[in-house]
Amino acid sequence: MIKTGVRLTSTLPPETIDIIRTKTHSRRVRLNVGGLLHEVLWRTLDRLPRTRLGKLRDCSTHESIMEICDDYSLDSNEYFFDRHPGAFTSILNFYRTGKLHMMEEMCALSFSQELDFWGIDEIYLESCCQARYHQKKEQMNEELKREAENMREREGEEFTTTCCSEKRKKLWDLLEKPSSSFAAKILAIISILFIVLSTIALSLNTLPELQDTDEFGQPTDNPQLAHVEAVCIAWFTMEYLLRFLSSPNKWKFFKGPLNIIDLLAILPYYVTIFLTESNKSVLQFQNVRRVVQIFRIMRILRILKLARHSTGLQSLGFTLRRSYNELGLLILFLAMGIMIFSSLVFFAEKDEEDTKFKSIPASFWWATITMTTVGYGDIYPKTLLGKIVGGLCCIAGVLVIALPIPIIVNNFSEFYKEQKRQEKAIKRREALERAKRNGSIVSMNIKDAFGRGVELMDVMVEKTDERREKVQDNHVSPFRGIPKIKSPVSPRSPTKTAESDFQEQAKPSSSPQHLSAQNLEEMYNKMTKTQSQPNVNSKEKTPHSKAGRQKTEFEMGCIHNEAYSGTAEAVTDMRSVSSIDSFISCATDFPESSRFSQSPGSNRPGRVSTNPGLEPTLENEHEGSHGAATPKPNPSSDNARPSNPLRSCLVRVRGGDDSARGVRPDSSCVLSPATSVYTTASSRTPSKSPENALPGIFTFHDSSVSKFIDADTDEEEHPHDASGTNATQRLLEKASPKFGHFSSFQQGPNHMGGLSKRLGNNALPSEGRGNHVAQELQPLQGDTSHSSK
Amino acid sequence: MWTVPRPKYRSGLSDEEEITVNIGGVRVVLFGDDLKRYPDSRLAELANCSTQNLDLISSLCDDFDPGRKEFYFDRDPDSFKCIIDVYYFDEIHIKTGICPICFIKEMEFWKIDQSVLDECCKSYLSEKEQELKEIASKVKVILEDLDVDQCITRTQRCQRFLWKLMEKPGSSLPARIVAIASFLSILVSAVVMCVSTIPELQVTNAEGKLVEHPTLEAIETTCMMWFTAEFLLRLTSSPNKLRFVLSIMNIIDFMAIMPFYVVLSLTYLGTTSMMELVNVQQAVQALRIMRIARIFKLARHSSGLQTLTYALKRSLKELGLLLMYMGVGIFVFSALAYTMEQSHPETLFRSIPQSFWWAIITMTTVGYGDIYPKTTLGKCNAAVSFLCGVIAIALPIHPIINNFVVFYNKQKVLETAAKHEVELMELKSGRQARRKSNE
Repeated sequence: MIKTGVRLTSTLPPETIDIIRTKTHSRRVRLNVGGLLHEVLWRTLDRLPRTRLGKLRDCSTHESIMEICDDYSLDSNEYFFDRHPGAFTSILNFYRTGKLHMMEEMCALSFSQELDFWGIDEIYLESCCQARYHQKKEQMNEELKREAENMREREGEEFTTTCCSEKRKKLWDLLEKPSSSFAAKILAIISILFIVLSTIALSLNTLPELQDTDEFGQPTDNPQLAHVEAVCIAWFTMEYLLRFLSSPNKWKFFKGPLNIIDLLAILPYYVTIFLTESNKSVLQFQNVRRVVQIFRIMRILRILKLARHSTGLQSLGFTLRRSYNELGLLILFLAMGIMIFSSLVFFAEKDEEDTKFKSIPASFWWATITMTTVGYGDIYPKTLLGKIVGGLCCIAGVLVIALPIPIIVNNFSEFYKEQKRQEKAIKRREALERAKRNGSIVSMNIKDAFGRGVELMDVMVEKTDERREKVQDNHVSPFRGIPKIKSPVSPRSPTKTAESDFQEQAKPSSSPQHLSAQNLEEMYNKMTKTQSQPNVNSKEKTPHSKAGRQKTEFEMGCIHNEAYSGTAEAVTDMRSVSSIDSFISCATDFPESSRFSQSPGSNRPGRVSTNPGLEPTLENEHEGSHGAATPKPNPSSDNARPSNPLRSCLVRVRGGDDSARGVRPDSSCVLSPATSVYTTASSRTPSKSPENALPGIFTFHDSSVSKFIDADTDEEEHPHDASGTNATQRLLEKASPKFGHFSSFQQGPNHMGGLSKRLGNNALPSEGRGNHVAQELQPLQGDTSHSSK
Repeated sequence: MWTVPRPKYRSGLSDEEEITVNIGGVRVVLFGDDLKRYPDSRLAELANCSTQNLDLISSLCDDFDPGRKEFYFDRDPDSFKCIIDVYYFDEIHIKTGICPICFIKEMEFWKIDQSVLDECCKSYLSEKEQELKEIASKVKVILEDLDVDQCITRTQRCQRFLWKLMEKPGSSLPARIVAIASFLSILVSAVVMCVSTIPELQVTNAEGKLVEHPTLEAIETTCMMWFTAEFLLRLTSSPNKLRFVLSIMNIIDFMAIMPFYVVLSLTYLGTTSMMELVNVQQAVQALRIMRIARIFKLARHSSGLQTLTYALKRSLKELGLLLMYMGVGIFVFSALAYTMEQSHPETLFRSIPQSFWWAIITMTTVGYGDIYPKTTLGKCNAAVSFLCGVIAIALPIHPIINNFVVFYNKQKVLETAAKHEVELMELKSGRQARRKSNE
């Protein structure tokens, strides 16, 4: 049900009086949410006046209505919202019944996003659905936390510009990432062999046939095996020291559990040597020997070194750490069972002569062996009563042990799956990086995503405080509702809004991280496919960019100011839930569009900036700051980056003098106003800003424009996003039908011709409504780009 | 937008029978004949009433468009699509994705009886309702904790305070300290009970018999004093004495304390030679076993143990199944083993009841080795019995485990859900209060 009666931009916005008249005229209103028509009484919407829909009632001017909804038509009394229609059904039912239920198949995270958009607090969720909702949300948060941790880890691997960072990084990669190169793989295999060898030697050492006797008649190590041991220890020590030296963060390295194991595997040897050497004369003293024995036992720890090379072992460790609750439960059950049955059997057996159940602690052993169904048979009950107790003990043991284990197993399998997934993701990431090194894929810098992930965690914490405040206020999310609408007016809104907006922005960013592997693969394939074309361009571009840096920088600065001073809407794309294919199109298109950046026709800085926006990433690449460029398939940020000139502007300023280190803080500070803008999903008052005037721009943005529109399927564009690709896109949208045709005409010979032609046609009736265009385009493409949900 | 396809043979009928309804934006054309099959339902009433009777119409629906003869309802169209099925198929299925509680509300609105809901969806509904009930009970507990200050008299307040101190470890720091102290005392008394049976730590009394070490006895006595004090305080402060006495936890508490006092009184009776000393000693011995009950007192402090008891209570049927399987297995295999081992001259299987023990130990895979088969046939039988034992145990245990896991996971979720429910209630009551003040 795609709406047809859309307001034409060529006509003037309706007068306030008309709006009021139509509102008073009808009791009902038609809401078109993502193509699904709903009809509702105004009276119903009034029940929650502070929500988005409740506010719609009070709006009497064109601007205020456009702030709330994406489009409207007074003739059919219809308001269009570009949101997920499925979630809206349950939200509308909240108005009708006062009970907020959640669709079963709805993702909790996206539902909470929808709730945010409609200005309803999640606290209103009915308890029947709440349990599920919170469970899912907690799960999500946990996942996000883990993701953020990973990001931070990778973040920590950044090598500063201290001495020979390049070499250290190479060494680090060699030692820590066995999959990074062939040599590293071989090194890892050698390391495993040494571990195995040393453990074999350790156990062979205790064979009496292989032992020598020293001058005191005590058995000592076999000299050959001692050599083996020494070699192994030397290797371990070397490995550890090299790792330590090459590690980017020494303290973190020292604290790492795997490294502690390494240290524990090495230390006993040296302590033993030290003790025996220093006490050579008094070696006969038994206590020294005993200490040495203890340290010999500690050598067993080296078998744990294998954990470094085995995902399974690591996830076992993580599982045990995570399910200590259940383990405690298991031990508690066992302890109680042992206690009960041992005392029972003691009372049953103690009058038997020659009994082995002499006391309750003595029968603990029997109870343990019976409950675990080991049954050595060294102690067993003999009386009838004792045998009955024994039989019950067996069955109880089986039950009690079996109960908490499935929970632990569940934890383990979940974790293991996750681990596997991540391994695959890393491999993909590396493949992407390799492709990037070839120079074809631009703007794969993932740093921002990491930064976002880290910030996200803070937001999660802050959110709880926020919630508390919300509870105090008795109506629907005053904090979430009002700032959203108001933020475009005051971009530097108080921190509160920034926070809530962050949250908003953070949530969507998570979804792309859950992109299926298939999507990623697809993306990668597409990238590699398009490599050949853009390759030339990007190569040709680099010298240009260096030369023209000053100029572009200056221009960017201008735009920056403009964007801020104009309507203060600044940048927006941080919202970032872009679809995979949008990302692809962005990534692949840039080189093409960059070709035009140097074209003489581009005399307006606003337009040229599209391409400079992309330069910093290019530079980051060519300046060799690889550490910063670990490509993480987070299309959201990638998309955000190229299409967000303000941000890239900042990047650019920094990018000149050093690596991308400084990028993150900067971008994040830009983020907050940007995202606040995003949340005002429909804050697009028709802008009269000068940038969107000249339509001639399209001539050299043909393919990129067309693709950008599909790229932005789920991004809220803002007309005030003055510069960069968005500008061009918006320009297209704002264009009169003629231009829509024009652009499609231009695209004819393009390889994306078919698609863009369709786009052009679609853009014709619905000019000005970028979202609409995108929305219509989406089904046509048949691509799944629902990541915003 | 959709309409129910009109059967061909009806085309001759007049259009009077046809009504158009608009449910939240979805237009549906319905036939009066069908609607009248459920005369109590809202739609049937609508079909019956004449279009002129505007008052009645407005009471039935939210809006009426006389021009198009369209009745508007401000309801959920999705649920309506399911509910309309009742007029055609006499039964309703809840579409997956719709919350059943929500759906029931919709059915109430359309005045359709819940009995038409199909069985398959009913179980789903009852599941949800069960969950809601559990949440409600949790909420009730939380609310009870909250309204403490409503007590009028001082004694009541005192009683409240004590109750919170003893029963709600999370309510305040002293309460937590009390909980920890009682937990530790349970542990200590359990350890003392075990240690006191070690012969090396026992002392001989005047009659040359081994008795408990005096220090251990002192510790035992103090622990008992603590338990008694705790129990009495709980009893006095409990708002509902009958419920308190009947609850399992308190029965366990009582069982843990009682033997101590019985033994005390018996020994007193014994020394004053009102009873025979031998009888007294036997009774004391029997009562000592009762001391084990104190270990169960731990359940008060561990939610995991409570879950276990709850799960076991819920899966009594499966436990019975387990015991039955085991019983049958034991009987069959011990009889088989007995007959097969008869041929061996030095057989360890002397009678069928004696070989029961062997069967249990084999079937649970414990295998002490005190009794084992010696003939080949007997060994084969042992192997089979071991396999059957594994299966007999594994099969019924699975549902028990399942119950346990479900309860264990649910516990956490319900906890958070209850908290949110309380928050929601606060929110709503706050709004109501404000509304009242505005009025």
